[in-house]
Amino acid sequence: MVESGDKVREDFFSEAQEIVETLSRNLLKLDDAHRTKRSDPGLVNEAFRAVHTLKGLSSLFGAQTMGNVAHHLEDILDDLRLGRVPLDDRVVDVLFRAVEVFNELLASEKSASPPPSQAVEALLARIRQIGAPEGPVAATGPIEYDLDVGMLAVLTEYEEHRLRTNIEQGNRLYRLRVRFDLVTIDKALEEIKESAKKFGEIITYLPTGDAGSADTIELDLLMASMADVPTLNRELGAENVIVEEIPRIGGAAIKAETAEAAERIVNAEVLEQGMSLVPNAQRELVSGRDKDTVSLRSVSQTVRVDIRRLDHLMNIVGELAIVRGTLAKVSERVRGEGQRSLAMELQRLHRTFERRLAEMQAGILEVRMVPLGQVFERLARVVRQISREVHKEIRLVITGSETEIDKLIVEELSDPLMHMIRNAIDHGIEVADKRAQVGKPPIGTIALNAFQKGNHVMLEVEDDGRGIDETAVLDRAIRLGKVSPEEARELTRLEVLSLIFLPGVSTRDSVDDLGGRGVGMDVVKNNISKLGGVIDVHSETGIGTKIAITLPITLAIVSALLMRASDQTFALPLSSVSEAIPFDGSVVRNIDGHSVMSLRGTTLPICRLDEMFGLERTTGIPRRQFAVVASLGARRLGLVVDQLVGEQDIVIKPLGRSLRDVRGFAGATELGDERVGLVLDAAAIIEEVLAGTESALRGARLGYG
Amino acid sequence: MASSLLASRSRAALRKPTDRGPIREFLAISLAGQLYGVELIQVQEILSPPPLTIVPRAQRYVLGVCSVRGQLVTVVELKRLMRLAEGGAVRRARILLSICSGEVVGFFVDEVRQVLRLSESEIEPSASALGGEAPEHVIGIGRPGGGEVLILLDLERTLSR
Repeated sequence: MVESGDKVREDFFSEAQEIVETLSRNLLKLDDAHRTKRSDPGLVNEAFRAVHTLKGLSSLFGAQTMGNVAHHLEDILDDLRLGRVPLDDRVVDVLFRAVEVFNELLASEKSASPPPSQAVEALLARIRQIGAPEGPVAATGPIEYDLDVGMLAVLTEYEEHRLRTNIEQGNRLYRLRVRFDLVTIDKALEEIKESAKKFGEIITYLPTGDAGSADTIELDLLMASMADVPTLNRELGAENVIVEEIPRIGGAAIKAETAEAAERIVNAEVLEQGMSLVPNAQRELVSGRDKDTVSLRSVSQTVRVDIRRLDHLMNIVGELAIVRGTLAKVSERVRGEGQRSLAMELQRLHRTFERRLAEMQAGILEVRMVPLGQVFERLARVVRQISREVHKEIRLVITGSETEIDKLIVEELSDPLMHMIRNAIDHGIEVADKRAQVGKPPIGTIALNAFQKGNHVMLEVEDDGRGIDETAVLDRAIRLGKVSPEEARELTRLEVLSLIFLPGVSTRDSVDDLGGRGVGMDVVKNNISKLGGVIDVHSETGIGTKIAITLPITLAIVSALLMRASDQTFALPLSSVSEAIPFDGSVVRNIDGHSVMSLRGTTLPICRLDEMFGLERTTGIPRRQFAVVASLGARRLGLVVDQLVGEQDIVIKPLGRSLRDVRGFAGATELGDERVGLVLDAAAIIEEVLAGTESALRGARLGYG
Repeated sequence: MASSLLASRSRAALRKPTDRGPIREFLAISLAGQLYGVELIQVQEILSPPPLTIVPRAQRYVLGVCSVRGQLVTVVELKRLMRLAEGGAVRRARILLSICSGEVVGFFVDEVRQVLRLSESEIEPSASALGGEAPEHVIGIGRPGGGEVLILLDLERTLSR
């Protein structure tokens, strides 16, 4: 069993290891550039970022020594990239030594042995020696180019340094105006940076504020280069790229006061214009600034938002929906009182309100969505790591990593998915020899697929391993007393496979298999159920196993069917409703005390909601009732109710702690008439009702097969 | 707002200690004809009962759930919790909102009478008043000078029994 704490630690190690490896590769390139007297500022910057991330990661996981080393190293790299410290052999040596120390530290953290304090101390001493900047501090004179105010104002210290260095080196400045497709912007931007590298350097980029169309964005790229406009136009120019040289301004020195005044103007302007910096609107001669000057540089295009704030917004939307409902009622009443024109006006208002509210709801939901790629990347690392541990070669094929799902679901998914992948590697994929014997390629394949299907996201983990041994699963289930030998004989193949989701029964095929590794699939199933998801397993002996998960796209808001039973309104998420049919009590048959009916030739277990919940009836049972067919994976249950009220989008709120023992409800929701309705937990109800019914059905299979 | 009013009252009480020891404020409530006291700091808000939604399968003392400005509240019948006689008029019934182990719980009471300021000397600890037999949720007995005797309750403990 992998404890969640272990998992977090493992994540930390793999992440930290990855960073150190990247850093090490980076240093090799940097060293190479240094030896051949080339300079590649990008490499230093990448190294700086890597160490910065490592520092953050270490402090997050309480790896103090590592954080401390990273902190000091970050300072050096910062000095290096800002040109405060020159790159020389001494610095390169220290950087290489640091990578070694990081590796030693990681090893000691992992084995919980004492840290290599001597090595750390020695390294820190060497870092301190370099520490004091000896080179000239970066120049701070005015930048005598006709640069856009907005662009200058948002330069980071590093970018400003690169700009100055390029100007000092006599490079010319260009503005590349590029229109990007929003979908591919990351890749396209990387590409253009890469091709620009041959001629110079992209220093910074900034949106022009010209929206154009909804799915494109225009950026101004500030580039320094030795080449001239025709060359750049030839090499970089394209339909969507316009190259323009930025003219030099007749270098008149400005007085200090004027410079300060200019800066104030700049800052004020940036404040006013916010992010939509109008290009060319006003060009100011901007003086360079002292390093200590506080400036408004960090205008970013993205914000990080705590998901609870989004939940809060969603709650407000829910309450506005109630206001909307009241508004509708008021307009009905006004019409009833004969004030037609006023009623029409109210109606119009109501419709506009409704539309805007729906847009707002969709907008908030959209913000919560993140691509599954986030989890998949982490899983790819896990696969690499485990396959190395167990000496099995594995190819991971990922599709659909762009599929989007609620952020909260993504967070909760990585554990179950990791368990499933771990199981696939440990118990599914055979060792290379065995694979060769049955004529499979030596490298095992695990496919991780994601795709959207209506309001659901489907996730599949598929391996080409040996498949689940049904006999072993059945034996184990019988030994554990989960099924009796008699019942076992009656089980279908699918039912046998479903046994792996019971606690204690695992996908392990033999007792001598690696003990203590197999994570219970019951845990996985529970986690998925908590997210409102369903899990199914398919397996072919010798061919492989596929585990499929169906998840709702979002947890924040769900479409639900409202229905009434004995004067009480209940909501059932539509995701678990397959149909609703008129119900006639006379078609019910009774098998060992369990009610069933036939639905298109199959047997449907049924359950009267009022009986199940012991609801008191003030009036008799209505003549016409309905059966709402709830389904969960392959299992179905007809819930008998008095009346179908309709569909409604609801925000589910969990019941309080004092009601935590109450089974059958996923929570409650506001219905709009000041009332609260209970939301049924389809999974729990089906589980509860079918636990008894299925065995009764098996006994009577002959009659109803 | 009722809650802020209650809060400022209890602050005022803390500022004015008398010679008979510090003052504590209690909300006098009536349950099945008997007077009880609930310390004011435990009460967030007093509500007229909104429509309640019955929760099937819940404990008998749970009357249902309701929504108070978007917050889901579990409402419990204090009389049932304390195994008192039930019934009686509901015209003056109120719900006291209180936070119990992080959850907002509404306590249904027959009537809210007044706020009583009791000095330490007017409060008889339950141990001396009732001996070792005293239930956990009873803090003590309040004997306001010249007033009706009341049983002082700890709301949170009534739930955790």
